[in-house]
Amino acid sequence: MVMHHPSVDFLTAHAAGILPVAQSACVSAHLTYCEKCRRSNAQLQAIGGVFFEQLAPTPVSESVLDNVLARLDEPEPLHFADTASVARAEDSLPGVLRRIINGDFSQLVWKKVTRSLSISHLNTGDTHYEFALYRIGAGGRIPEHDHGGSEMTLVLEGGFSDGQGTYHPGDFVYRKNTDIHAPVAIDGEDCICLAVLDAPLKFTGWQYRWMNPFLQLRAG
Amino acid sequence: MVEQRTDKGGEARATAWSVPTGRRTDEWSESLVLIGKHRDRAAFTRFFRHFAPLIKSFALAGSSLSASHADELVQEVMLKVWQKAEGFNPEKAAASTWVYTIARNCRTDMFRRLQKFDTPLAADDLNIDVEEEEPFAVLHTRRGSDRVRELMGDLPPDQAQILAKVYMEGKSHSEAAAELDLPLGTVKSRVRLAIQKLQVQMDRQ
Ligand SMILES: [Zn+2]
Repeated sequence: MVMHHPSVDFLTAHAAGILPVAQSACVSAHLTYCEKCRRSNAQLQAIGGVFFEQLAPTPVSESVLDNVLARLDEPEPLHFADTASVARAEDSLPGVLRRIINGDFSQLVWKKVTRSLSISHLNTGDTHYEFALYRIGAGGRIPEHDHGGSEMTLVLEGGFSDGQGTYHPGDFVYRKNTDIHAPVAIDGEDCICLAVLDAPLKFTGWQYRWMNPFLQLRAG
Repeated sequence: MVEQRTDKGGEARATAWSVPTGRRTDEWSESLVLIGKHRDRAAFTRFFRHFAPLIKSFALAGSSLSASHADELVQEVMLKVWQKAEGFNPEKAAASTWVYTIARNCRTDMFRRLQKFDTPLAADDLNIDVEEEEPFAVLHTRRGSDRVRELMGDLPPDQAQILAKVYMEGKSHSEAAAELDLPLGTVKSRVRLAIQKLQVQMDRQ
């Protein structure tokens, strides 16, 4: 049973489509585990639906309709046919991770950081957030650290404790830069987590544009 | 600022948005089912005439896309409506919410394409649908959808205005704060308050 959930702020931003892709992918992975948050997400989307239906309409020319009607018989792109679904017993991975991981965890490239910690970086294309899997050996500890930025963590396998709580698969933890913690994996099983961290600032201008997508286009 | 219908009095609320009256929304769910089942082009054309102008407004909200990109978005979204209509389940979502999520995803993807932001994740990949057997279909039936609309009509205008910016214009909290000349904390707490109020009320029904 999932006990730790994303905040209302994250769920709202996810439903409104304004969350950066790496963070949104982490929230999405949580939703595959969590009925409570799927319900919230449906409610939050319904709010979007009400705003949408109440927009003042903008006239669309008949030629746009003609174009669409002429294209109705085009074959459907494969990508649409296969939308992400809720995690089932037979799936080892949430749908969003299956999109970016070929095979299972053992086939990934793992970089050993300490005796009990290995990291595998995944590509979401997000230049501002690092998206990675952390594997902590059973009973192993991650050295105490604080966060230069923020950190979202979602437990995928096993579990860990960090003094503030104990977390199991599906649990979502968010830590801000001031929080210090030293996660310890639960005994008996390796713990695999998805972690989304603020990457070091590299291209401030570009990041700013990416963080503010709708603003940027207007400026461009 | 998003232009919203202002066909109901109330000066204060007119600055944000207002609740339309007497409009049946479930007729669109019915025609969406027809489109999916019978590939009914006449029903699709009616559906287009109603929703395309809303999609275009959504594309233009917050000046996020040019007029020609907005027309392109209308085409993309309406093609997806045609392709996905078979999977539409009126028990799970109102037609307007269903179209909104498609439009939202297409706008995000188009935006990223235009920015040459290269990601293996399409916005659709991040969309987790509710399951058939999950016991809150009631939220999405016509009554549920009317209820959401009603509750939103009761929000204070300052909260509704910020929510509209976030949902329709795709503005982050800090962008909304800058545009409205408000402290970031105020924007965040207004969004949170509004959402919490709506969710508590929705759960209560
Ligand atoms: Zn949850």
